Amino acid sequence: MPFKLIVNGREHTLDVEPDTPLLWVLRDELGLKGTKFGCGAGLCGACTVHLNGQPARSCSTPVEMADGGEITTIEGLSSDGQLHPLQQAWIEQGVPQCGYCQSGQIMTAAHLLATHPSPDREQIVTAMTGNLCRCGTYPRIVAAVESVAGGVGQYQPAGEGA
Amino acid sequence: MSMNRRDFLKVSTSASGGLMLALNLPGCASVQTGYEEETGEWKANAWLELTTEGDVTFTLDRVEMGQGTYTGLTTLIAEELDVRPETIQVRFAPVAPEYRNPLIGLQLTGGSTSMAAGWQPLREAGASARWMLVMAAARVWRVEPAECSTQDGYVKHPNGLDSMPYRKLVELANREVIRGDVPLKPRAQWKYIGQQVGSRLDAEAKSTGTAVYGIDVELPGMVYAAMTRSPRYGGKALRFNRDRIRAMPGVVDAFVTERGVAVVADRYWRARKAQAALDVEWDFTDAIALSNEDVFEHYRRATNDDPGENERVEGDVEGVTANAEVLVEAEYEQPYLAHATMEPMNATAWYRKDMMEVWAPTQAPDLGRIAAARHTDLSPDQVTVHTTFLGGGFGRRLTQDFVEEAALVAYQVKVPVKLIWSREEDTRHGFFRPAMLHRMTGSLSGGQLTGWDHQIAGPQVLDWYVRNAAPAQYPWAPKFLYSTLGRVGLLVEGIATPKDISAIEGAVGYPYNVPNIRVRHTHTDPGVPITWWRSVGYSHNGFAVETFMDELADKAGEDPLDFRLRMLAEEPRHRRVLERAAELADWRQPPPEGRARGVALFKSFGTYVAQVVEAGIEHGEIRVYKVVCSVDCGQVVNPAIVEDQMTGGILFGLSAALYGDITFDNGEVRQSNFHDYRILQMHQTPEMVVDIINSEESPTGVGEPGVPPVIPALGNALFALTGRRQRKLPLKA
Ligand code: FES
Ligand code: FES
Repeated sequence: MPFKLIVNGREHTLDVEPDTPLLWVLRDELGLKGTKFGCGAGLCGACTVHLNGQPARSCSTPVEMADGGEITTIEGLSSDGQLHPLQQAWIEQGVPQCGYCQSGQIMTAAHLLATHPSPDREQIVTAMTGNLCRCGTYPRIVAAVESVAGGVGQYQPAGEGA
Repeated sequence: MSMNRRDFLKVSTSASGGLMLALNLPGCASVQTGYEEETGEWKANAWLELTTEGDVTFTLDRVEMGQGTYTGLTTLIAEELDVRPETIQVRFAPVAPEYRNPLIGLQLTGGSTSMAAGWQPLREAGASARWMLVMAAARVWRVEPAECSTQDGYVKHPNGLDSMPYRKLVELANREVIRGDVPLKPRAQWKYIGQQVGSRLDAEAKSTGTAVYGIDVELPGMVYAAMTRSPRYGGKALRFNRDRIRAMPGVVDAFVTERGVAVVADRYWRARKAQAALDVEWDFTDAIALSNEDVFEHYRRATNDDPGENERVEGDVEGVTANAEVLVEAEYEQPYLAHATMEPMNATAWYRKDMMEVWAPTQAPDLGRIAAARHTDLSPDQVTVHTTFLGGGFGRRLTQDFVEEAALVAYQVKVPVKLIWSREEDTRHGFFRPAMLHRMTGSLSGGQLTGWDHQIAGPQVLDWYVRNAAPAQYPWAPKFLYSTLGRVGLLVEGIATPKDISAIEGAVGYPYNVPNIRVRHTHTDPGVPITWWRSVGYSHNGFAVETFMDELADKAGEDPLDFRLRMLAEEPRHRRVLERAAELADWRQPPPEGRARGVALFKSFGTYVAQVVEAGIEHGEIRVYKVVCSVDCGQVVNPAIVEDQMTGGILFGLSAALYGDITFDNGEVRQSNFHDYRILQMHQTPEMVVDIINSEESPTGVGEPGVPPVIPALGNALFALTGRRQRKLPLKA
């Protein structure tokens, strides 16, 4: 049964089994490898994307539930070769160690800033604490989010409800 | 080790006419002791190349797994070559004998060795290349080389006006001959070393989702595999419902392998769904059946029956403990631990006639070749291993089981295949940090520590590792001898393999001045697969030594800080980090209401670390409020990376202290995913203060030394808080 997804502004029709997690559709059918597999059970956040403006764990989202939805992945966060301010901050603050969790971290942070442009530290921690980082980059993540808090206006996750 | 430049640097012309410097980087690691470097031909293991197009490429023989090698080593070259670090392209080395870490004898990254090994040779390589460019320019301009200077990839004329880019000079520079030693820049002129310059060189790729990890490898016509392993280590698959599985949608093949049942499908999810329908009959004849209680029972019996090998003896410990005024005894239990790298184990392999290519996030590509060849008709030199970025390593990816699996599936299906472990599989079928038992005896007289007796019971990492490693050290050996070689390695330890200090490291280096010391190892192995784990033996010895020091201080009625300091009169670097950490943590002031502080000091991999933890108990849970860390790792190359590795190490250690526990139930691992093998989350992250000692000593590693002290420091804080001593990890509220 074909499904329709609008990913990073482009429409795709996909013929996959309905229970296929969105994660594997993005990675293997659409070649968007920036979204990572960490636990497959909604426990780590490595696979976080935006689905209709909300952060979603793509490993635990069957593609049928995303049918017709608008999705933003890490690849769609920057526009016209312009890095998202969070990505810029991540680079400036030298956040990534192994880097594997960072797509998910950035996607969660991007949603936070889109909905709360000037979060305080507690709001940042509350929003981010579901994203695990085995390398322990948490302090630099907080610093990076704080460095752009208040300064992000241009990026809005695609779809309603943001 | 003193080194002459000639011993590790050779200059040649690259295929494209560029300037090529071949280097031989010495290595060192926890497995090196007792290993005699092979005499014979000089071999390079890293290359610096300057092309006529202006590219500067550094081919690195170490892998990048988050520890910052990529940035740190490049900085050394950039400094002396006088180019900006970000302009140097870094390539991961393909597998070749030339890339082997000479002192380990294998190509691997571990033991916090990269910076210590690269410090001198990489700067000298950069300096030599720069000097050859300067000489070439001076010849063109007919001036004295010594009067020329360089800046950001240009040689500058003494007149201060003219300059020439390096790329125009590389061809000429090729003909220059270096006589004598090229001086290195004095400290005062450093632009990049020790500076907070720019960012990590790989930060952009890792912030935009473009860095390619093993799991991201994509090949034409690729299929996906899922492996079902014996629920109990050592079990073998006999048969399964093959017809049903093969009839499932997308299934390409399904078969029994040496590692379990492989299901191969055109899509990952289809492989997983077919796997879920598997009904496997296992042969558990050789499988482990133990439970956690058995492991520690086994250790207890072993410590009683076998006094163990003396690893360090000073004075007469038995005499002094027999007549002790106060005798203190304690036994510490530490569990098996998983690595839980964020990227689960995976590998991609493609078998074609007489060759195989493997793409893998591996810490030891050299061993990957052997693992890949093991169940095929290929010899290791017919296997090419491409190393990708690693989504965490922590020692797990030194063991090549995941490569072996992908290869044996690829050998069967003859098309490119990617094998990805689920998180559950990754947690359950790992190679673990060994569970260990420590028996401690201390004697006090008049408040003085007069005797220290430390007995360690447990396996050694090489017991397991050598089965993979031995063939790499005997490349001439036919494959059917591999398993024999593994056993030979076990039998004649120190000849076939280096002496394994993984069980005793950190314990033999006990730094406190005590007249009677004995450290012993009772070597015993319950049969659970093990490997290196961030900070290896230091991780459990750190807990045993520094918790027992705290117990002794308590029995002596002395402040734990003063008790330690008094016995460190001849250890200035230990003293200094301990004093700094205590000062920054306000040790002499009472902690805030409801909190307590604990301290620990541990040297590992040549690096000195002291930490003070401030903790409390809230709503029945342990809360860590603050960790102050003082570190002396010699000359600092990149302060930001040192800080990252300390804070990362602290959080890694806290995860182990609070939650780390792989438990066995009749041979099966109980834990499965992040809900029951927990790692620290952001809201639990304490305030962390990292103080880096300003030092001119040679640099030492930082990837691991942040881990060991935090575990006992937290335990000691909880003792100060509750008066109850916890001798078993993980800690409980
Ligand atoms: S992979 Fe989706 S939450 Fe971990
Ligand atoms: S950077 Fe390695 S898991 Fe977060």
